[in-house]
Amino acid sequence: MSLSHFDHYAPATLEEVFSLLQSKGPGARVMAGGTDLLLKIRHGALKPKYIIGLKNIRGLKTISFDASAGLTIGATALLAEVARHPDIVKHYPTIAQAARGTANPQIRNMGTVIGNLCNASPAADNAPTLLAMDAQIRIRGPEGERVLPLDQFFKGPGVTALVPLEIVTAVHVPAPPPNTGTAYLSLSARGKMDCTAVGVATMVTMTGKTCAGVRLFVGACGPVPLRAPKAEDILRGQELTEEVVEKAGTQASAESRPISDMRASGDYRTEMVAVLTRRVLREAHHRALAC
Amino acid sequence: MNQFSIVGKDVPRNDARAKATGSAIYTDDVKLPGMLYGQILRSPFPHARILHIDTSQAASLPGVRCVMTGEDTPKVKYGNWRLFPETQDEYPLAIDKVRFIGDEVAAVAAVDPDIAQEALSLIKVEYEELPGVFDVDAAIKEGAPIIHDYCPSNISVNRKIKYGDIDKAFAESDYVREDTFHVHAVSHAYLEPCAAVAQCDLDGRITLWTSTQVPYIIQCLLASTLQMRENDIRIIKPFVGGGFGGKMELRTWEFCAAFMAKKTGRPVKFTLTREEEFLTGRRRHPMTIHSKVGFKKDGTLTAKDLKIYLDGGAYNAMGPTATFLCGNFGAMLYRYPSYRFHGQHVYTNKPPASAMRGFGAPQSIFATETQMSLAAEELGLDPLDIRLKNAQVSGDTIPDVATISSCGFIEALNKVAEMSDWREKRKTLPKGRGIGIGCYSFISGGVFNWFNTQYPFSAAEVRAFDDGTAHLLTMAADIGQGCDTVLKQILAEAFGLTMEDIRITSADTAITPQADLGAWGSRLTLMNGNAVLDAANKIKAQLFGAVSARFNLNVIHEIECKDGKVYPKGRPDRSLSFGEAVAMAQKINRGEPLVARGYYTPRNKGLVTPSFSFGAQVAEVEVDQATGVVQVQKFWTAHDCGTAINPMAVEGQLEGSIQMGLGYALSEQFVMEGGKTLNTNFLDYKMPSSMDVPPSEVVHIETYEPEGPMGAKEAGEGLAIPTAPAIADAVCHATGYRCKDLPITPEKILRAKRDR
Repeated sequence: MSLSHFDHYAPATLEEVFSLLQSKGPGARVMAGGTDLLLKIRHGALKPKYIIGLKNIRGLKTISFDASAGLTIGATALLAEVARHPDIVKHYPTIAQAARGTANPQIRNMGTVIGNLCNASPAADNAPTLLAMDAQIRIRGPEGERVLPLDQFFKGPGVTALVPLEIVTAVHVPAPPPNTGTAYLSLSARGKMDCTAVGVATMVTMTGKTCAGVRLFVGACGPVPLRAPKAEDILRGQELTEEVVEKAGTQASAESRPISDMRASGDYRTEMVAVLTRRVLREAHHRALAC
Repeated sequence: MNQFSIVGKDVPRNDARAKATGSAIYTDDVKLPGMLYGQILRSPFPHARILHIDTSQAASLPGVRCVMTGEDTPKVKYGNWRLFPETQDEYPLAIDKVRFIGDEVAAVAAVDPDIAQEALSLIKVEYEELPGVFDVDAAIKEGAPIIHDYCPSNISVNRKIKYGDIDKAFAESDYVREDTFHVHAVSHAYLEPCAAVAQCDLDGRITLWTSTQVPYIIQCLLASTLQMRENDIRIIKPFVGGGFGGKMELRTWEFCAAFMAKKTGRPVKFTLTREEEFLTGRRRHPMTIHSKVGFKKDGTLTAKDLKIYLDGGAYNAMGPTATFLCGNFGAMLYRYPSYRFHGQHVYTNKPPASAMRGFGAPQSIFATETQMSLAAEELGLDPLDIRLKNAQVSGDTIPDVATISSCGFIEALNKVAEMSDWREKRKTLPKGRGIGIGCYSFISGGVFNWFNTQYPFSAAEVRAFDDGTAHLLTMAADIGQGCDTVLKQILAEAFGLTMEDIRITSADTAITPQADLGAWGSRLTLMNGNAVLDAANKIKAQLFGAVSARFNLNVIHEIECKDGKVYPKGRPDRSLSFGEAVAMAQKINRGEPLVARGYYTPRNKGLVTPSFSFGAQVAEVEVDQATGVVQVQKFWTAHDCGTAINPMAVEGQLEGSIQMGLGYALSEQFVMEGGKTLNTNFLDYKMPSSMDVPPSEVVHIETYEPEGPMGAKEAGEGLAIPTAPAIADAVCHATGYRCKDLPITPEKILRAKRDR
């Protein structure tokens, strides 16, 4: 099957992007790496008349880090760049790990973290960690910028909070509080290099022996990556003993709403949410104490 | 053991540089002036009657040059089993009925692929849906829908084998066990999808470039279905990106490309998409295997009663051969004093299963090997010992099959145990870790002439030149397994030349000698290798005469070709260079070029194969107790392929086999619903990637096969057999879960743990 015909634009400024979006109407799509978009076109799921490439826009590729302001990943920063960026590897190791665990080297050299988020697959490898780390998404439209917590960005499979003419320019991750640890684990049928069948990410902040703060997100077990607030409640203010971690796993499992599909059965996913939740909690706890 | 110069050496493959640099020309790379692009319209229903097809709108779309349906064709059925025409059950395009989702209904050729695609959507087909059957049980039930009118039982092939007094043997056994195994379908998943380009010349003759394992079979079947003469069809096989059994029949696009090229006068190309390959492509037979085995207390086998149902899908394809062979494989590895087999090939409304690497053996031997390990447990024996006790040895005769002329099975078992530290690990590995064994035997090509060819099974032509070079022509199809390189090595060795001195032209039916049955059944090294040697020996006889005359040698002198020279043994001072000897022989014949043809057909070798390979593999696994995820840590393999003509190529076969076996055991399966394949891409068809393949160690057990060229036998398919049983046995050792229904999934492991 061949690609449908479309015109390709490679503007150099955001202003040009918005004027193109405005003049071309709903037949236009923006593209970063194109690793999801071109596949959808190839399979006939999308038939855009115009593709507006973002890779020529100055500054959109920037990855910047500041110890107090935190981390900003630009819209066209590649998965491969995020995976090996020294500041990310050092201060946000789980974000680097999730980027490194996405697809294969060829895709990571074309695709972007933001593209992975905007594709809004419930199984997106980069979403759970960024959600657990309380990331914010920066959205630009012709009218200006708005900032949205990432946990309000996903609306359903393939659906985001973006309205027509808007694009995501960056994701911002605050500097984690002291004594904080993160972890992300995923499972799939093939082992390495595969689409995630279930994934869990967490960020744990300790005060002494007590868990002062925790965020826990489950991927591929609902229409969007899901938060497990009741499991978090079990952990918050507690010592993270085996018993508490065990209970939180069971609770996270109860809070997930997986379907059965060809990647795994709903029952297996439910069971694995508990297992992975316990494992990421232990790992994040361990890392928090090691800070 | 013979001392060789080039045979037995790690020689880089003929095609390696072209493939690594991207300059290799595959069928889809063939572009001809004025070429049209073909597309196939496929059935959306698993079982339906075709009431009416209206192609008028499609035909009038600008850019469309040809639209065809079954009605336009000569309506000749085809199939590879020409010896039994009743098994030939396929038309190039459906005539009356469609029998699986993806069954080919019509074809379009247009000036570009997009127009062809659009034209497909303009063809209107009126169907009357019929009830479908999707597994063996439903298909053989009383009153089940009939898939082919000629076959009301839906059982298209019956095969029986029987020897020894089996009832008496069971009665006298100390221990008898019965098990039922289910094995599933997997895809060949060759990286090059099927493609064909046809061109018709001014005399109406057809040239077809096609991605195939069997140029000669395509030539014959294309001729019969087009009602043309064989000699008016020329098949050229460009580089092929893998076949694994999935490219060994005439297929719709090959027929349609030729038919439309003839009709339009323009070249026509078809290239399948990956989605078409997964949705409709051939696959390995799912089987239901009932096996009853008897033993003496000490583990000696007494009897085996094997009953296998093959889920064949909608057409026979290579199912008849798989039905025959899975019965032979049931009693090939070990000595069964009495044996009974009944195999039944069953039609269902699914894409046809066909040949796939191992040709019935991965299924049949998965059951054999699992049952051997189960019996060992119950009899309190080490799984290794029960195998050693019953292993075939050189000189053993399999009734009605053949005498095993070379067999390194016991040596392989002992070697693999030593390499893997089997006895120690089997006792001491902690829970969650395990070690398991799987063994295999395989054929070096088949003896049974189901294609009913009137030619020898393999042929080669060798031309020798006075510049010290030789040209080898053979119809043998290199599909990535490396036979071009191996055949060149055999000729270079025979002539005492280097690889650089040998030119090869292969797999062009208008140029290379009739015939060769193709690349399947692990037949080419032995069969075509023998044909090359036969031709080489005929040339050598002439060279030896020339050398003998030149040096006035005593007739008792033995003459040899070595290091570029031809000379009496022990008298290298009286030598001619190879080129000089050729020139001399040519002079003796008043200028006639020095050319010889060689042939091989197995004779007096029973009905199965002229020689057998053997081997054993050990897998070590770690199983995550909470997730059920299996990680294979390492494989050890010891195998007997006779003389390894090119050890590096044999190791390549082993690596590919392990990758395939890993997928068969753990991750690959077709997810199907009502006859429809849902996972039609590599994202959801879980073929292991290079990152998933664990490290492995291998030892070649040296034997010399008297029937093979320079002692060689097969190394292609046999190695694909032991991996699944070895992993299954290791998983059982690690977790207690004994898999009798592949694949082994984390969910099955966890369920078994809960059930205990």
